[in-house]
Amino acid sequence: MLTFDQYLTPQSLDEAFDVLQRVTGARLLAGATDLLPWAREGRAGDVHLPAVVDISRIALLGGVSQEGARIRIGATTPISALQHHPLLQQQAPVLGSCALWFADDQIREQATVGGNLVNASPAGDTQPALLALNTHVTLARRESGRILERSVPLSEFILGPSRTLLQPGEILLRLEFDALPHHGVSFEKVGHRRSLAISTVCIATLVRIDTHKRIDDLRIAIGAVGPVPERLTDIEDLLTGVKPTPTALREAARRVADRVRSRSRQSYRREVLSNFVERSLNTALAHAGLDLPHLPKESEYV
Amino acid sequence: MSDTLLSDGSVAQGCHPTTEINAMVNGRKVKRTVPNHYRVIDFIREELKLTGNKEGCGAGECGTCSMFVDGKLIKSCLSPVQKINGCSVETIDDMDRDSGMSLLQQAFNKCGASQCGYCIPGMVMAATSTLRQNPVASRDQIKEGLGGNICRCTGYQKIIDAVELARDVQSGAKPHSALDEDSATVSFIGQRTRRLDSPAKVTGAIKYAADMFMPNMLHMQVLRSPHAHARIVHIDFEAARLIPGVECVLTCDDVPGVDNFGVFIEDQPTLARGVVRYVGEAVVAVAAETLDIARAAVAAIHVEYEQLPTLFDPHEAMKDGAVQIHDFAQNNICKHTRIRKGDVDAALAQADFVVEQTYNTQSIEHAYLEPEAGLAYLEADGCVTVQSPSQNITHHRHMLARILGRPINKVRMIMSTVGGGFGGKEDMIYQGMLALAAIKTRRPVRYVFTREESIKASAKRHPFNIRYTMGLQRDGRIVATKMVMVSDGGAYALSTPGVMNKSAILGPGPYAIPNVWVDSIGVYTNNTPSGAFRAFGAFQSEFATECHLDLCAQKLGMDPVALRRINLMRDGATTHTRQQLDRVLAVECLEAAIKAAGWEPGVPYRQGHSQPQRTDFNYEGSRDFYLIGGKTKPSVPLNVAAHHTQGDMS
Repeated sequence: MLTFDQYLTPQSLDEAFDVLQRVTGARLLAGATDLLPWAREGRAGDVHLPAVVDISRIALLGGVSQEGARIRIGATTPISALQHHPLLQQQAPVLGSCALWFADDQIREQATVGGNLVNASPAGDTQPALLALNTHVTLARRESGRILERSVPLSEFILGPSRTLLQPGEILLRLEFDALPHHGVSFEKVGHRRSLAISTVCIATLVRIDTHKRIDDLRIAIGAVGPVPERLTDIEDLLTGVKPTPTALREAARRVADRVRSRSRQSYRREVLSNFVERSLNTALAHAGLDLPHLPKESEYV
Repeated sequence: MSDTLLSDGSVAQGCHPTTEINAMVNGRKVKRTVPNHYRVIDFIREELKLTGNKEGCGAGECGTCSMFVDGKLIKSCLSPVQKINGCSVETIDDMDRDSGMSLLQQAFNKCGASQCGYCIPGMVMAATSTLRQNPVASRDQIKEGLGGNICRCTGYQKIIDAVELARDVQSGAKPHSALDEDSATVSFIGQRTRRLDSPAKVTGAIKYAADMFMPNMLHMQVLRSPHAHARIVHIDFEAARLIPGVECVLTCDDVPGVDNFGVFIEDQPTLARGVVRYVGEAVVAVAAETLDIARAAVAAIHVEYEQLPTLFDPHEAMKDGAVQIHDFAQNNICKHTRIRKGDVDAALAQADFVVEQTYNTQSIEHAYLEPEAGLAYLEADGCVTVQSPSQNITHHRHMLARILGRPINKVRMIMSTVGGGFGGKEDMIYQGMLALAAIKTRRPVRYVFTREESIKASAKRHPFNIRYTMGLQRDGRIVATKMVMVSDGGAYALSTPGVMNKSAILGPGPYAIPNVWVDSIGVYTNNTPSGAFRAFGAFQSEFATECHLDLCAQKLGMDPVALRRINLMRDGATTHTRQQLDRVLAVECLEAAIKAAGWEPGVPYRQGHSQPQRTDFNYEGSRDFYLIGGKTKPSVPLNVAAHHTQGDMS
């Protein structure tokens, strides 16, 4: 059970920094969907904190807006907004396909985008999609009364399981990523079941094709197969500028199997990852308007 | 009690700082002061006594606590209570707006969508949310909408049917009369029979044990063993007893009667007596004014253990010289059931084929959606009453009378609505402590397990190791079956003897076999006790038999159905335990099943290889049909099979 001396609900960033300064060991909370189950038997057990700071009512941490070619969303934006917010549906549809696989309807209303990043779970579902969108995160801290911000790429922000660049006393403010309304998108995930499953493998693919049916921009990111999500830059380079064929996709798929660095279920993950790369490329290309025939494939697992 | 401040301003043991909550709940203004660690589910159920929504897991997995906060459906076990300050909350209790039943609830009632009913409040809420967001949701979209809700009884079909029916009535595609309850017919066979308790279940009105409150009620918590096998050297509960609000602390020394009970073998103490035999065994029980105080008291108890050698493998446990878990059980054998019919060794020697294989099944948790709970109280005439979801109340009553040292007419068991049991609530594991606490304190006492506690302390399905030997003639007739089954019964017998019997009696299957040898051995180990679970042992042994027949068919080059057809019992057959049967419909049953399944005869390993890949279902694992925003397209062209050639199949 999670217990605490104080539950504080600051209304502004300054109030939140006041609390962090005043109470050592205070812990930030937004959606709480991971914090409450964590403080139960079998995980952390009973946990007592000096203070819990609920940042979900700070207006500055919400909001969705467009700034030129970039989209800006507040850290406490609920996952459900990735599905339902009109601007995101239009400018970053990959987030909608990813959110569809995230937990379930209820938890998507509660959990936040920022939470999924600061938790830094190797199986965080939004991470590959955000990585493919070249996301930067903005972190804020207060020094001698002034609020200072720094912006870091998501690829550098997550250091490993449960480890990020976030320093004590620092708050994740917002995310900024590319607006990509014309890219074909795909998100694939497999877990023990369809809803409420922790990813065993997940992948986000974005592709744009030019008038000659050549790939002119490709972004693929994978999650849950290693300590941190990663971009498949070699595959991106391999296929960019190329007129995609089923054989080219199969070749790309063949090359990624050795990317699996997780400790468990390696051979299964290798086969799934390889199949996912091919299938998500196919789906994203079809979404972008280019239907390719599928090569048949026998499972290596028989 | 929760806001008890000591003179120095700190909070008393088991008490927490409080918080004031102002919200609209089901259209009514609510202002309450509660402990600050409450979650929304605690506030709704424990403070407001709105018990329609249940708590099934406390970790956001099961969905039965789902309720609306400002119109958004959330899992209330994942939300600190402070989050509803200034918000509007809707629970299942008022979904009907006091009109009887909402459209969805009527549809759930009509379709018989509730079985145990414990998941149904959450299901109704998730369905309500789904249809509010999308009144024309497809069946697949409905499944998506209910994805965060678990049902352990129904298999979901009737629930999804009900949501579709509600959608169609709402849109006018079906008349309102489609929701009318079916009228009773002369015959019940082949008819959809109305469940009498269904309206109470779909509205959340029915009370499970954890939904019951009584004036002056105390709350129980239990200290459980962290060790698999240890001697209890000393229990120090003095500090716990002195916490204000603690009304009683119970150990085995408080049991007045004969502290040995069990359905088949009396080997179970109410609370560990001298020795703990598995991780999770109850050692000390506390009843206190609040759950928080009871928890604090449990945390203040110190037990000194001396660890003993442990046994986790039944084969190791049966060896000579292995540590004995119970004094009376030689070689730790709890039950050995034997069936001997004919001369198996001679028949195997003469058989054309002898096929051997070993099968293992695993321990399985029942995972009923309702964790164990109970409420005990003393009546004016001295009769102690226990309400709990027990699947065997008469037996529990007899056992309780012995434990409590009271005549049977001073002990009453009331079976509260069972939120799923599947056999897991047949064995008694906590009712004794509850009755004892009620007697000691003369107050009602309630004990509600957490999901973790339920999984830790309750019985599991027996894991089996089955060595199978079968002798057959060339034409497929079985001449002899030998099954040697060793099963992990865990630390206490519970239903092990019955499970061993059933696994042996039904294990060789509905086949006419002249020579049969079965050993079914249940063994004590230091694992969580195994107990009753659907099919009571037959599941494990018949799993092995049916697997084995497929294997035999493969060796004989036969169609597995043909092999069974040859061997099935027919009218006038004698069972393995020599019961004379009159009519046997096994063959008819098999024929009906293979017809329904569209069985294609052939040897097992060739099945399906002549068939083209199916394309008549959605591409597995794809959610593209529900892609929100952007262009939606099926990810796989439907002519996938056209790319397959015979060469690819080889």
